[in-house]
Amino acid sequence: MSFILNPLYDIVSGVIVAIHKALAPIFGANSGVTWSLSIMGLVVLIRIILIPLFVKQIKSQRALTALQPHMKEIQKKYKDDRQKQSEEMMKLYKEHKTNPLASCFPVLAQAPIFFSLFTVLNGIAKNKPHGFLKGDYLVSAAQAKFFGAPISQSFLGSSQTTVKIVTVLLIAFMSGTTFTTQRQLMVKGMPKMDSSNNMMLQQQKIMLYLFPIIFAISGVNFPVGVLIYWSTTNLWTWGQQFYVIKRNPTPGSPAYEELQRKRAHKAKLAGKTEEGIDQSEASEPEVLGQRQQPKKKKKKK
Amino acid sequence: MRKIFIAIVRAYQIATSHTAPRCKYYPSCSNYTATAVGRYGLKGFAMAVWRIVRCNPWSQGGVDYVDEHLDCADVKNLLIDNEKEVVGAN
Repeated sequence: MSFILNPLYDIVSGVIVAIHKALAPIFGANSGVTWSLSIMGLVVLIRIILIPLFVKQIKSQRALTALQPHMKEIQKKYKDDRQKQSEEMMKLYKEHKTNPLASCFPVLAQAPIFFSLFTVLNGIAKNKPHGFLKGDYLVSAAQAKFFGAPISQSFLGSSQTTVKIVTVLLIAFMSGTTFTTQRQLMVKGMPKMDSSNNMMLQQQKIMLYLFPIIFAISGVNFPVGVLIYWSTTNLWTWGQQFYVIKRNPTPGSPAYEELQRKRAHKAKLAGKTEEGIDQSEASEPEVLGQRQQPKKKKKKK
Repeated sequence: MRKIFIAIVRAYQIATSHTAPRCKYYPSCSNYTATAVGRYGLKGFAMAVWRIVRCNPWSQGGVDYVDEHLDCADVKNLLIDNEKEVVGAN
């Protein structure tokens, strides 16, 4: 296992140390701010690398509008057979070379990074060097504080009150962001569910409330540094999703309808004030219901 | 060992069921893994790893069973129909 993880330790600790080097002249080498920002910088870097994948997914989601009639047909044809329904749906996506779903690999690929970060930060607490985080850096990181709590301490591993307060606040923040992200997606972001999906929706609702609890239970074992990483990722996910739901929602979702209404309204206003100037542009969003996609892929035999 | 592994996969499914469906394939990577490991053990695990690698942003997904001749919906329906016939004959 170590031959896979050692390079990851190097990368994770290397990025943290590099950001730390860049920020040290501003905030001071031993400052908690520098070390906290280094961890956050790692998150931002990972998420920026993942943005192109996200954009790709959004694009294929938009291409879905063209497939909507086919999808309805399949749902009607195989309404008693869920398996066949899913099979046919996947075949349809493949035929049209589009797939609205993300894929498993990027998520699972992030898990080792999270694991190495956990090990590296735990190494700080146990005074055990990993990768580039060694010597003076290790000593400096071990005493670095995030709002008064050393980033190497965890809720259960420390008796300091500040550590307890900071970890609890971070866990609450993590749960809060996850909760809002999921809720936002369920309420606004997903295509409207029909009655056949109702049970799934119910299940998701239970999970929605259960997940923060699971978070809290696991969070008490993690050092503050890992919690910082986790909170930042969650915040990023929330922001990203907020942006997408507002600007580029999935066709068929409530947010999509809302955006279309807004656009139609705007177009109407623009038409009144600047009559005859933007005719071509203004007339386009006024077509309610299904918007014409610019690119429509031909069916391939 | 297989049972423990499958239990872990199921736990993962329950833990992630609150998010939107993710997998590009049908059955999903996790379902595929559970079936493959249950049937083939270590070889199944290798199959599952390969499937997850294939489930990347540049693949198009699709229908991909562990054993086409055992799992696909048409086969299952055929079996159910045959059973009905047998029951009818009695």
